[in-house]
Order: sequence, then C-alpha cells, then structure tokens
Amino acid sequence: MCAAHATVRGLLHDVTEQSESVVIDMEAGLEHLSRGTPRYVDTLLLVAEPYFKSMQTAARSKAMAEELGIARILAVPNKIRSVRDEEAMRSFFAHAGLPLPVLIPADEMILEADRLGCAPLDHDATSPAVVAIARLAEALDMI
Amino acid sequence: MKIAVAGKGGSGKTTLAGTLARILGRRGRPTLAIDADTNPNLALTLGIPRETAAHIEPVPKALMQDQLDASGKRVRALAVSYREVMAHYGVPAADNTRLLLMGRVDHGGAG
Repeated sequence: MCAAHATVRGLLHDVTEQSESVVIDMEAGLEHLSRGTPRYVDTLLLVAEPYFKSMQTAARSKAMAEELGIARILAVPNKIRSVRDEEAMRSFFAHAGLPLPVLIPADEMILEADRLGCAPLDHDATSPAVVAIARLAEALDMI
Repeated sequence: MKIAVAGKGGSGKTTLAGTLARILGRRGRPTLAIDADTNPNLALTLGIPRETAAHIEPVPKALMQDQLDASGKRVRALAVSYREVMAHYGVPAADNTRLLLMGRVDHGGAG
C-alpha cells in the first residue's frame, strides 16, 4: 500500500469527520477510498460521460464502493448531447444497478467559463448544466 | 451530507464538485470543499481566481503523524486540531464554502 495515499486518506478522514457538509473532488482513480471511507463519506457520485469506457469505470467503482460499504452510490451522467446518449446511459446504468437521479446536459457555457477563467456558476447560473446540478442537490436531499 | 465525487479525468467531476458545494452553501449549509485530485483544479469553480489559486498552500503531509489510539493501535492522525488546519489552510471561497487543498501524492517513495 502506498504510504502517501494512506496519509491523504487519513487527512480526508480527520477533516471530513469534523465538518457537517463536505464535497470531495477525488483523484481520478479511487486510491483514496479504503475500508475506512464509509466512516466519513455517506454519498459517492460517479460522474460518467456517454461512452462505454467511462460508464464501465463507473460500474467498476460502484462494485468497489459497495464492498467498502458506502451508503449511497449514484451515477451522474454528464455531457449528454442527445436522446440517444440519454437512452444509452439509462440502459447501461439500469443494468449496472446504479441509480441516476439527474442527467447533466453538454453545455458550451462550461467551456466558455473556463476560457474566461471564471466559475460556471458565476458565468451563467441559468445554464442547463448548472440547473441540472442544482436539481442534483435537491435530489440528494430527498433520496 | 458528506459527498465524494469520482470519475475519469475530463469527465467534469471537478465542475460538478465545486458547483454542488456552492449550491449547498447557498442553501444555508456552510460546505467544506476538498480538492484531493492529483491535478488540483477545484479552486476556479469555487470562484477563486487563477492567480490566487496558484498560491494556495496544500495541507502538509507532515501534519499527519503516527499516533497510538485508545486501544494502543498505531494510527496516522492529524497532529494539530481541525481548527488549526482550517485557520492555516482553509481558503474562504464563494457562497459559504471553504477550500482545502490536499496536495499531490508523491509516488517517488514507497509505492
């Protein structure tokens, strides 16, 4: 086991334990997840793009997170461009047993905000992707 | 609620994490946003300008030290209080959020 990862995991645990509301932007792999994770994380959001490898990664992460005992594991399809994208995501994640409370549409505004060096929420809080994330926040409160 | 956001690089997980943290903050929940990615990028979505973000100091790994817990088991835990960590490394950001940067994991050592 990587000692540096163990340190980051310990840190995540110690600071998260003492805050009421926390959002962690995890490493791309799931190296920070460990047996102890469910003690400080109650919800895992697996962001996936509408292509097979990305969906497969989410499904694999789900298996691992379940094994660890994380209470709530949800898929969040992102960058959805078409009804076909949406159908592919719904069908894949239904099969994988991953609930998806919200689908986030592809949104040019995200790239635009990035080019301007500002936050999407500050650039345009009414854009489709931001509105979808707000719906996700509501869904997380209800389920 | 304690939420971890995961996904492949480029999937948009950072935009999601930062925006979600701020929306929770706007709804009256002060939210701690932790950047644990190897390519830290969360600051911008929290409304921190790039120039400022470049100078944010990550929580030093040295703050984590091996200690003995109540049962005598060796655990790696924070050597200072949470309050001190937040005071020194917590960066106030938009909408009632605070950012903590975990810093890069150096794979050069014991893997």
